[in-house]
Amino acid sequence: MKREVPIAITFISGVLLVIAFFIPHEPFGSLEQRFNDWYIIVSGFALILGIDSLLLHHWNKVSRRSKDWFHSLSLIIAFFVTLIWGFYSGIKTGHFLSAQSTFRQYFYMYVFVPLQATMFSLLAFFIASAAYRAFRADRFEAALLLFSAGIVMLGRVPLGNAVAPYMVGLVFLIFAYLLYSDGRKEVDPTRRYLKIGGAVLSLILIYPVGWFFLHYTAQTAGWIMNIPQLAAKRGIFVGIALGGIAMSLRIILGIEKTYLR
Amino acid sequence: MAQVFWTWVAAFLTLAIFSFLYKDNPFYKFAEHIYVGSSAAFWFVYLWYFDIKPKLIDGWRYNTGFEKYILIIPAVLSIFMLMRFIRPLAWLSRWAIAFTVGMAAGLGITAALQGYLVPQIQATFLPLWVSKGSFWHSLGISINNFVLVLGTIVTIFYFYFSKEHKGTLGALSRAGIVFIMVAFGASFGYTVMARISLLIGRVYFLIHDWLHIV
Repeated sequence: MKREVPIAITFISGVLLVIAFFIPHEPFGSLEQRFNDWYIIVSGFALILGIDSLLLHHWNKVSRRSKDWFHSLSLIIAFFVTLIWGFYSGIKTGHFLSAQSTFRQYFYMYVFVPLQATMFSLLAFFIASAAYRAFRADRFEAALLLFSAGIVMLGRVPLGNAVAPYMVGLVFLIFAYLLYSDGRKEVDPTRRYLKIGGAVLSLILIYPVGWFFLHYTAQTAGWIMNIPQLAAKRGIFVGIALGGIAMSLRIILGIEKTYLR
Repeated sequence: MAQVFWTWVAAFLTLAIFSFLYKDNPFYKFAEHIYVGSSAAFWFVYLWYFDIKPKLIDGWRYNTGFEKYILIIPAVLSIFMLMRFIRPLAWLSRWAIAFTVGMAAGLGITAALQGYLVPQIQATFLPLWVSKGSFWHSLGISINNFVLVLGTIVTIFYFYFSKEHKGTLGALSRAGIVFIMVAFGASFGYTVMARISLLIGRVYFLIHDWLHIV
């Protein structure tokens, strides 16, 4: 009873949705929308479980005077102040996010948005330092990653467009120097001349490549986003969709039961 | 006056979060905990006003007959979800979880078919030679279409793990990794730019709204 009923509920709800998809007529026609609404309602109540767990964890820290208990207390106070203020504004103005509500005017605009935006903007620094450590153009694939990331970053802003030819020129100059210094140490004459030739070619290419990036950085960034990036994304999406369908079938048919643990 | 007070609150919270760039400190921890606590409450209120109230409470108040009484099912399942708090009846919450899992699985199939699989495959059926305008214009569109089709196919081959990536399959998967690397790089660059624009927004708030320098 405790295992069979949930498996049956999963099977019936999953299968009915699939039937509603293939037979969009009554009585199945409205089923998808109805089930979707029910899903939103029931899964919404799962948030209460999460909030309970969060508050309990921090209340335990406060009651035991654990390390940083003061911060846990501030979390609990912030939770209840926001909750009471949100519902108060909602009851007073009809909706908690209406233009007249003080919740929107003050809490949302001056607490929630700044906190969220600043927290995510911090990632700009960490992502940059992670890129500095991870982006080593020691393999062809890694160089491709670095190249496309660099072009997209430079091509999306006017300043990036302006500095792109100089940056690319500098990269070619460094590349030429590395090839030349490597070539001088080379014992094999063929490899030595190839490397020195590569260095000369890099120097020659500085001007045409710089000219190209002076005029077409934004277009190149757009092309990377719209063609190769889109192609790979499509392949990944197709894979995700197939994997998702396989996993959903396993759940509906009762093969996958880990959610019952 | 209220505007000034709340601008100072926002500036304090912004600087408290930025202080983490130096090192973990009590100001950052305070702002972080405020963020977590207020976010949990915000999303609860949001859920109430956007989902539970219009779909369940108002549905019960304004509907009649079948449309009204059918709402007993999600209401009962929602109460079952909260049975986790009552240990002897905790097993009832599995019914609610089973319903959401079954729904997610059913939606997983239909949404994957409708939203991803069919549209993505449909959009990839492109002509490899397009005759439109001048020769060079046609060639440009044709090359783009060819790259798009080829990139999609080789990326799918890269994720095909039922056979060892050797020979033709190996060559195709190697071509796939080229496209994947370009895509990851582009996505990375795009994400960095999004974060930078958020950062510019916060710095602008500090120097414009708070300090009135610009």
